[in-house]
Amino acid sequence: MGWLDWMLLLARIVLTFFMLLFALVIVIWLERKFIADMQTRPGPLRAGPRGVLITLADGMKLFFKESFVPTLADRPVYLIAPILAVVPAFLAFSVIPWGTHVTLFGREIPFQIADLNIGILWVLAMTSMTVYAVVLAGWSSGSNYPLLGSVRSSAQMISYEVGMGLALISVLMFTGHLKMSEIVAGQGGYYWGFVPRWNFIPQFPAFLLYLIAGLAETNRPPFDLPEAESELVAGFHTEYSGWRFAMLYLGEYLNTITVAAIATTLFLGGWRGPHPSFLPWLWPIAWFALKILVIFYVYVWIRGTMPRIRYDRLMAFGWKLLIPLGLFWVLATGTIVLLPGLYGSRGRLVAVGLIVGIGMLLLLAADVLERPRSRSREGASP
Amino acid sequence: MTGQEYAFVVLALVGTVGAVRLVTAKNVVHAALYLVVTLAMVGSIYLVLGAEFVGWVQILIYVGAIVILFLFGLMLTKAPIGRESLDNQQRGLALLVALAVLAGLVFLIQDAFHWGDRKMNLVHNTTGEVGRSIFQHYVLPFEAVSFILLAALIGAVVLARREERE
Amino acid sequence: MNPTIDYHAILPELILSGTLVVVLVVDVFLRPPRKWLAMPLSFAGVLAAFVATLTLIGADRTTFGGSYHVDPFAVLFKVFFLSVAMIVLFLSLRYFREGRYYQGEYYFLLLSSVLGCVMMPSSRDLLMLFISLELVSAPAFLIAAFRKNDPRSNEAGLKFFLIGVLSSAVMLYGMSLIYGVTGSTNLYEIGKALAGHLGGQETLALAAILFVVTGFAFKVSAFPFQFWAPDTYEGAPVPVTAFLASASKAAGFTGLLQLMFVAFIHQAAFWGPVFAAFSIFTMSIGNLVALQQRQAVRLLAYSSIAQAGYMLLPFALAGHGVDKEAFAAAVTYILIYAIMNLGAFAVVVAVSRKSSALLIADFAGLMRNAPLLALAMTIFMVSLAGVPPTAGFWGKFFVFRAGIDAGGIGIALAVVMVVNSVISLFYYLAIPRQMILVEGPEEPMRSPALVTFVAALAAAAVIAVFVYPDLIAHFPPLSTLVGS
Repeated sequence: MGWLDWMLLLARIVLTFFMLLFALVIVIWLERKFIADMQTRPGPLRAGPRGVLITLADGMKLFFKESFVPTLADRPVYLIAPILAVVPAFLAFSVIPWGTHVTLFGREIPFQIADLNIGILWVLAMTSMTVYAVVLAGWSSGSNYPLLGSVRSSAQMISYEVGMGLALISVLMFTGHLKMSEIVAGQGGYYWGFVPRWNFIPQFPAFLLYLIAGLAETNRPPFDLPEAESELVAGFHTEYSGWRFAMLYLGEYLNTITVAAIATTLFLGGWRGPHPSFLPWLWPIAWFALKILVIFYVYVWIRGTMPRIRYDRLMAFGWKLLIPLGLFWVLATGTIVLLPGLYGSRGRLVAVGLIVGIGMLLLLAADVLERPRSRSREGASP
Repeated sequence: MTGQEYAFVVLALVGTVGAVRLVTAKNVVHAALYLVVTLAMVGSIYLVLGAEFVGWVQILIYVGAIVILFLFGLMLTKAPIGRESLDNQQRGLALLVALAVLAGLVFLIQDAFHWGDRKMNLVHNTTGEVGRSIFQHYVLPFEAVSFILLAALIGAVVLARREERE
Repeated sequence: MNPTIDYHAILPELILSGTLVVVLVVDVFLRPPRKWLAMPLSFAGVLAAFVATLTLIGADRTTFGGSYHVDPFAVLFKVFFLSVAMIVLFLSLRYFREGRYYQGEYYFLLLSSVLGCVMMPSSRDLLMLFISLELVSAPAFLIAAFRKNDPRSNEAGLKFFLIGVLSSAVMLYGMSLIYGVTGSTNLYEIGKALAGHLGGQETLALAAILFVVTGFAFKVSAFPFQFWAPDTYEGAPVPVTAFLASASKAAGFTGLLQLMFVAFIHQAAFWGPVFAAFSIFTMSIGNLVALQQRQAVRLLAYSSIAQAGYMLLPFALAGHGVDKEAFAAAVTYILIYAIMNLGAFAVVVAVSRKSSALLIADFAGLMRNAPLLALAMTIFMVSLAGVPPTAGFWGKFFVFRAGIDAGGIGIALAVVMVVNSVISLFYYLAIPRQMILVEGPEEPMRSPALVTFVAALAAAAVIAVFVYPDLIAHFPPLSTLVGS
């Protein structure tokens, strides 16, 4: 690699970084607007046109506020935690192709920082790092509510990480690639000439699984128990203030964007979409942003409609429903992938039949086995 | 030295410092964090050696899951909040044993491989090859491991479960 | 592209695995009073696996690219482990049913451990060997702590676990060094590589062997790594102790046999003396401490340490031109020891229903209260001491003869063994003395039929093997891994 390549890499990193920051500003504003719409109130209005600069304003405010460290805090850990909230999210984003490529200086430059051979693994590794921010922020604050928040979150995030991993594994099995660019490349073309060949159609259960697990991974409502304000003041970041709080806050949104971007790449065809030949590098980026926004809107929508789930139900949902479903879907995907190779085109039919059959059997079994709950118990917890 | 060797030296040094601090740290949570450093460095060394899959899996599993579980366990039981500490009185003995083992191993390994006169070519394994190896040649141990884990899981639940009194 | 898997060769393992899962699932749907049904279910599975193993007699199959062998050696031990499993299941039924334990989970864990045992003698690959050993130990840690309300059982599980994990780590490190030196994990390949010129890596290879041996020494409770055994044996539920002292220990020895006589045989001149030291110290320490025991299970624990010393003796003879004989002696001894030890534990299980403290004094008057059990116990004790007319005599005899034939250090070892056997008579005979000569409270003891059956069967076997030593001495020489 010559110096030009290094410079280009650096440029890509800087570009991605600022693009993410820009996206953050927009996304936080959008969330507030969406939520405001759902609650029939105007939302932020003053800063900039229709309040679009509200995030900047908030950021400035937090930046100039005093950022103190509680007496009982474990200083080094307390200081590291906010950084840990932001860095892994950026890193996870670095393998995501958010556009095709441009040709500059006689080189093809992809809109992706690094196309690792083990893209999905990298994503999993980095998203699992984000737990540290929450756990350490909560523990190091030296106070009880944050500690409770971090205990909750570590359990929650680890549990849902398993479900998320299973969803990713089925995609990986289906596409046969770990590399992000090849996963996107595999989603070109159309079913029956007009339905785009995106993974979320054949892999719909995995898509759902991923979205739900992603919700829990990012501590978003209805899985925002680590920061349930009615129970834990503000959860793990109760003791944070100033720019450190801002970092934690940004980290959460960054994670949300990353999760949405991964969902887009793996399930929604990444940057793919029909576009005119005019400015061929711009449209994929627009498509990518649009798809992220759609997923983000769904997340906000869920936040606007669903009440927070009780903790034991959260764990039961994760372990008793999400993970078994994920396991089942991994098996089913294996069947779909392998049987046609073994039995020819008839195999596909057999595979689908088998999966539907097993699924129905499971449902039946669940129905038969589920014992009627005692009424008094249900009545006790309205 | 090649760039790879520089990278190795740096990673190994950081990992060693992490490991030493891991056992000398007075606060268990700090110890767990130093463990993260060490494990991450081990994973990075795998990466330097060209074992991409193993390297990332090391980081994903150990850093991303196991240490988090440690932390979780610590917090559920009795992680000292803030700056409390714990220690025991065995430091001298432990140091002695550790140094003896270190000296022995350093001697043995340098005796066998000598310093730097043995160059091996890196074999870059793709993830696909690793997968094929696990699921074809080593499928039996793989399944056996799943039984070990299942047994450990169930046994742990049984042992940890509170007895129901009637 | 897929290598063909010899499903017949791994049929016993497959059946056991299936049984495990079935036991676990069925247990979920059983109501508490019927939880014990997990035992007949497990038994059926083990029996099926046993039959499947019998169909493999005389086979010589290799699968999974040479890492898994089903040869006469493996089949002999598979049959043995499955028999032990059936016997332990018999011993467990009443004990766990009356003690209100988690029965389904217990049988599941026990069978997992058995699965590991069954895989062990076939594993001819370091990785496979290590994982089999872990599969033997990991569930065993847990069932050792199954008496949750008793701190001694907690201690048993914890000690066993810590020691087990430590030894595994040491062993694994040694294995990784061996892989580094030889570039293979297959035992035969390692044997070939170690036979050749090592190019300055001999020291490392020898150290690696030492690490691996140390790891196994923990598992088979050899001196100086024996200290966990008495506490673990005492604290664990008695049927579990019976399993640990017979199958689990034998599994450790089968692993050791394969490693030493297949992979490391060319270094015998180095590790032979190590084993000689292990053997002498293990048997002497075990016997001397056993003399002072007042508690039956602790006594049997120290006795089992001492017996491990006898089993280690043939290893010390490797490389003296009697490899085949030494190997056969070790195998014979392991098999005979397991029979008599299981029998002794069966009687202990029966007595534990009367007094859970299990002091030797609690055996007083057993001759009058339960003559059959007392008679069987006497036979086992005599056999453990190695006195005719019992099977234990032949076990010691083969080891002794191998020692004499080896000459040199072998003769010295044989003499030490005889001296030790004489010492052991003192404590082994303490129990029969208590049962026969000391007056005890007069209350007829009702022992569960299955337990009595096991004791009687084992006693009959011990006598039968003495009368017809061919019964058991016939197989080991045929099923040797040496010289092939």
